[in-house]
Amino acid sequence: MRALLATLAAAAGILLAAPAVAQAPMLGEAETRRVLAHGPWPPAPPHDPSNRVSGQPAAIALGERLFFDRRLSGDGAMACDWCHDPARDWSDGFARGVGKATLDRNTPALWNVGLQRWFGWGGGHDSLWSQSLRPLLEPREMGGSAAQVAARVRGDADLACRYRQVFGQAPSSMDDTGLLIATGKALAAFQETLVSGRTPFDDFRDALARGDAAAMARYPQDALRGLRIFIGKGSCSTCHVGPLFTNGEFADIGVPFFLARGGVDSGRHEGIRQVRGSAFNLLGPYNDDPGGATRLRTRHVELQHRNFGEFKVPSLRNVARTAPYMHNGALADLRDVVRHYSELNEDRLHADGERILKPLRLDAGETDDLIAFLSTLSDTTPPFRRRVADTCP
Amino acid sequence: MLLCADHAASIEWGLTMRLLAAMGLALSVLAAPPAGAADILPIFDAHLHYSHDAWESVPPQEAIAILRQAGLKRAMVSSSNDDGTQRLLAAAPDLIVPELRPYRTRGEIGTWMRDETVLAYVEERLKKYRYAAIGEFHVYGADADLPVVRRLVELARQHRLFLHAHSDADAVDRLFLQDPQARILWAHAGFARPEAVREMLARHRHLWCDLAFRSDHATGGKVDAAWRAVFEAFPDRFMVGTDTFTPERWHYIGEHANFSRAWLADLPKDLAERIAWRNGEALLGRMMDGR
Repeated sequence: MRALLATLAAAAGILLAAPAVAQAPMLGEAETRRVLAHGPWPPAPPHDPSNRVSGQPAAIALGERLFFDRRLSGDGAMACDWCHDPARDWSDGFARGVGKATLDRNTPALWNVGLQRWFGWGGGHDSLWSQSLRPLLEPREMGGSAAQVAARVRGDADLACRYRQVFGQAPSSMDDTGLLIATGKALAAFQETLVSGRTPFDDFRDALARGDAAAMARYPQDALRGLRIFIGKGSCSTCHVGPLFTNGEFADIGVPFFLARGGVDSGRHEGIRQVRGSAFNLLGPYNDDPGGATRLRTRHVELQHRNFGEFKVPSLRNVARTAPYMHNGALADLRDVVRHYSELNEDRLHADGERILKPLRLDAGETDDLIAFLSTLSDTTPPFRRRVADTCP
Repeated sequence: MLLCADHAASIEWGLTMRLLAAMGLALSVLAAPPAGAADILPIFDAHLHYSHDAWESVPPQEAIAILRQAGLKRAMVSSSNDDGTQRLLAAAPDLIVPELRPYRTRGEIGTWMRDETVLAYVEERLKKYRYAAIGEFHVYGADADLPVVRRLVELARQHRLFLHAHSDADAVDRLFLQDPQARILWAHAGFARPEAVREMLARHRHLWCDLAFRSDHATGGKVDAAWRAVFEAFPDRFMVGTDTFTPERWHYIGEHANFSRAWLADLPKDLAERIAWRNGEALLGRMMDGR
């Protein structure tokens, strides 16, 4: 009897010890390939050929100055940072943005915005510089105007000096529209610098790439399990692909898109209309790309019925810090987001639409694991500090 | 002085709005359909749903207003459950062509063909109301030979109704094997390529197609050459449809009607009118006349 008890005790000990043995589960070949595809990070600094001042230090400094300049808004009370607050990961924490009025969409964080292909939840702009003009002019956002922006720049000695340095001509010699577009290009140059830093996931991914088991073991086990869901049964990485964790395109994931003020937000459908109808798109005369390669995607984009109700697939870098979520901020936290996919309402998806979307039916542990993984996509970049000297150098 | 300031502000406002328009921000207004114009091409929309989640967000009177604003001549509507269709029919009997969907909720899309309780529901509704079709239902491949589907085909024959099938070609073939005299409206033309659609239409003389949720037959108002050939070969076999598979898409009906008008304008007038409304009216609309 005593021997039997001893045997049982030994068996129980083995069972209890089992999790420790399994603490570094091996990734299969396909899993490894998928994980490696999410790096390396950071990428090469963004450079936009359609913006001749992209990457230029003087343009970045001017853009930073403009980004925080409240005089560009209609009533002089609001700058870009009103909604894109650096202390809130370049967003505002609200479900829907609040400019001069409450807007229809969630304010996207600006992290890595320079690496994107289309801009805005509906992709209504094909360059960061043209996207940057919209809030300046939109009555419900900053409510400014080309004339007002131009007057501010011409009338401010510091801004005028910086413009001269960046664009090679005095703002007084530029017309209002030209000055507005130059403003957009300087704002874009600054925003291109908002590249998120390295994350615990990046450390794990690079350790995997070089076969460093000790470094891999430092990655939290729950995050690793969540990563396997992300690239496996969740199929999340089908759309949230690559180092940026987005394919840069648009999808209907079953989120309702009625507007609080009536009607609907048709998302990508209206976005394609906007980008094709815009005088400031990459097919127009303000594109600085001499080679013309940047024009291709705009030239070939076509409206399809499926675009109605599609919204941008967002990057997931720093996602844990940029709640609330979805195009209208309808989901308060990551748990809500995971629940959305776990309990996906297939009724809202066309039978021949997003075939990869199926309810994930995750249990509580899997939900926690997936959230743990998403949390390892947050960087530890120090808080943003303004870098621009007070006067034009 | 005030007048001058106002005038200056007005000029600036005008410039801003022109810039916004130049950026495409005002296009949604510009895209509004010219409904009511005398020369507008009528549309028979053969693929609409008005399911339970639409009733509150788009109430019947608003739904009917959307259809009329879009310039629809008739609209074939089904819903999950059927109460939505009956509500719309009561609100606009001149406009709504009812079809009976064998789903009590939309969640039955993937299960209905194995659920015999569906039949009692369908038979009860058929006793109570008149319809032009049974559908749109989803069935693929060999599932078309399941007992529930077979009974649905029998009921359609018994009540002389169209079958509106969201199916692959295999399932359509199987439905015709069950009843060679069945009349089938092939939802989305099966999302098949035009060559395959042509083959199916040649094989089955009682097969018609709706083009709902397809964008491949026309780009920028120009009809694809392969599709044009099929339309010309089978001018009486096509209809258009929006497919309001979520409530929000009721707000797409006008947009879709204009999309249809744009590409239909690339076809000879007679052919365009047949696809736009004459085929639907002749086949489905007349079934409801004389109620």
